[in-house]
Amino acid sequence: MITSVVESWIEPPLRQFVVDAGVELALLLHPSGQVLAQFGFARAMDVMTACALAAGIHATGGELGRMLDGRPFRGLHHAGSARQIFVAEARSTRGTYIFLTVFGQESSIGLVRLYFDELAAALAAAAPPDGPAPAPALAEQFEQDLNRNLAVLFGRA
Amino acid sequence: MHSPFTDMLNTVARVRGVTAALVVSEQDGIIVDANVQIGQPGDRVAALAASLYRKARLAARAASLGDVTFMQLEAPGGRLCAVGGGGLVLVVVAAALVNVGLVRVELLRASADLASLAEGRR
Repeated sequence: MITSVVESWIEPPLRQFVVDAGVELALLLHPSGQVLAQFGFARAMDVMTACALAAGIHATGGELGRMLDGRPFRGLHHAGSARQIFVAEARSTRGTYIFLTVFGQESSIGLVRLYFDELAAALAAAAPPDGPAPAPALAEQFEQDLNRNLAVLFGRA
Repeated sequence: MHSPFTDMLNTVARVRGVTAALVVSEQDGIIVDANVQIGQPGDRVAALAASLYRKARLAARAASLGDVTFMQLEAPGGRLCAVGGGGLVLVVVAAALVNVGLVRVELLRASADLASLAEGRR
């Protein structure tokens, strides 16, 4: 199993989630679209695309929730014919993250939701309390930061 | 709220020692309807039991045994029993000393109705 992370404390909870939930792909990213960890992706381009789309889905869902319900929607599930996607928000002392996972017939939305709750709790517990706060994602640095993270994930750093 | 599964769940839940009865989507692991005693983690049981039942069904098929008619899991603290039909699984959580024969009879009786209820034929 190849799980790659930008920050080492993310790896054990993510690895556990992947084993327990039996998902095909998993991605943890900053709401700006900066990737932090991935499992199952073979190409940096796919990670970049998935991050951009997940950040967009999260922002759209948040805004729709605020319009309809007065507070942002925090999770989304879409069932395709063969694969399903689940996007949700995880919070820790390091900030809010977006989690995206893709699963097929080997898993179910019930299992994914169940183990996502455990992942979110494990991330919150594992986040270094005194660690440096994540730097704000500035537009002028975004591409540079994204490329640096992708290079770390795919062993080119 | 009365659902098409309420009577079935109430009948099963009335058996002495049964602490939870849940109708769960086999594919999604999500509760459709449930009769659960306070303190039972219904969502967790539903997701895991549906996954277990599905894998048991696939294993039985792979071994050319046919469909799973009744699944039972024994643990020190009690039992988990399940039957399926129409893409749904009826899951029962019971104490260790429950009358398994009675639970089995009730579940097999309910399984005959499960598929028709799932398809809205009743």
